Amino acid sequence: MIELKVVSPKKVIFQKEIEMAVLPGTEGDFAAMQDHSPFISSLRPGQMAIMSNNKTEESFFVSGGLVMLKGKVCEVLVDQIESLKDLNKDNYKQTKTYQELEGNETALKTFEQVVNSPSYK
Amino acid sequence: MPNLKDLKTRIASVKSTRKITSAMKMVAASKLRRAQELAESSRFYSESLSFILSSLVGGSKDSSGLPELLVGRQNPKVALLIINSSDRGLCGGFNSSLFRSAVIWIKEKKSKGIEIKLMPIGKKASAFYKRSDQEILEKFEDLNTNDRQLEVSEQVKNKIIELFESNAIDEVSILYNKFISAIAQEPTYKSLIPLEQSDSKENSDEENTSSFEFEPDKNELLEYLIPRNFLTQVYGSILESSAAEHAARMTSMDNATRNAGDMIDGLTMKYNRTRQAVITKELIEIISGAEAV
Repeated sequence: MIELKVVSPKKVIFQKEIEMAVLPGTEGDFAAMQDHSPFISSLRPGQMAIMSNNKTEESFFVSGGLVMLKGKVCEVLVDQIESLKDLNKDNYKQTKTYQELEGNETALKTFEQVVNSPSYK
Repeated sequence: MPNLKDLKTRIASVKSTRKITSAMKMVAASKLRRAQELAESSRFYSESLSFILSSLVGGSKDSSGLPELLVGRQNPKVALLIINSSDRGLCGGFNSSLFRSAVIWIKEKKSKGIEIKLMPIGKKASAFYKRSDQEILEKFEDLNTNDRQLEVSEQVKNKIIELFESNAIDEVSILYNKFISAIAQEPTYKSLIPLEQSDSKENSDEENTSSFEFEPDKNELLEYLIPRNFLTQVYGSILESSAAEHAARMTSMDNATRNAGDMIDGLTMKYNRTRQAVITKELIEIISGAEAV
């Protein structure tokens, strides 16, 4: 188990014990698990998935940020994050994240892709 | 002899002033709680960020390879001071102590031959410096919601980077009121360029700081981190200053409410005395009139 802590500039979004998280690193996706070597990476816009038993429990869209892995703690400093649980291609444009990303074409495009992709859901 | 009617209206007006000040105190107290919560919850991000930054920079002791945005330029000529004031008054010495401290700071920098440019945040600071001969680069007002505070921080960050890269400024500092307790605030400076190394020495003593793997490489990470760090520093100081503002307003309104109470007591005493004097005078007139008959 690893403690995942997701933080935005405004607040701690959530903090919980998980088995594994898949994160969209700038140089490729990677999985954060217990006893990963100390690691710092930046994030590209993409999908963050919390998994257990090879199944996705929850997934999120992140617009970018940083990850720090250290021992049993995985800290994710995100710019914007949106849970994909209740999102589909009709309502994702109404989210705050979408509006805040206005003008950031690559991030918006990825958001659209992530919302439409059936994987991880 | 004071007029009874005048006294009565004065008592009434002081009473309504007291009502206003005590309401303002109450509002400030609840806003203070909220502002403190915001400041508290934004701390996680900035702490993690500065930890990452220090472990990135900590690895290489000499500052030669680091970007100018982090370590600043040699022989600075122009310094930018961001002054974080409030939008509204009635908060005691909150703004004036800030400006007093800024005057001293500016004088000191000038004596070293550094030119000062200003970036006021909050209406009070831009009003204060409007008529001075200091050059104002940009001003930000109406920071009344949390979203707006973050938006302004973002704009400040962009402006700083733009100005620094066009060589218009060589140093950046931010001045704000630090929230010490509900009754104490203190004007505080924080240097953004060059970056003040926070006193997180205990972190760097741990052996694991330099053992991190970085992806992409350090310089690319720094490129992302430095602007982020400006943002959180500016945002953090805006939040801190807003907590301090509400605290200052709360104490000064508390004092005002108490003063109004004292004043009402005094005026009521005076009113009663005058009323008694009027009655006595009338009695004397009646009695001496009766005696005369």
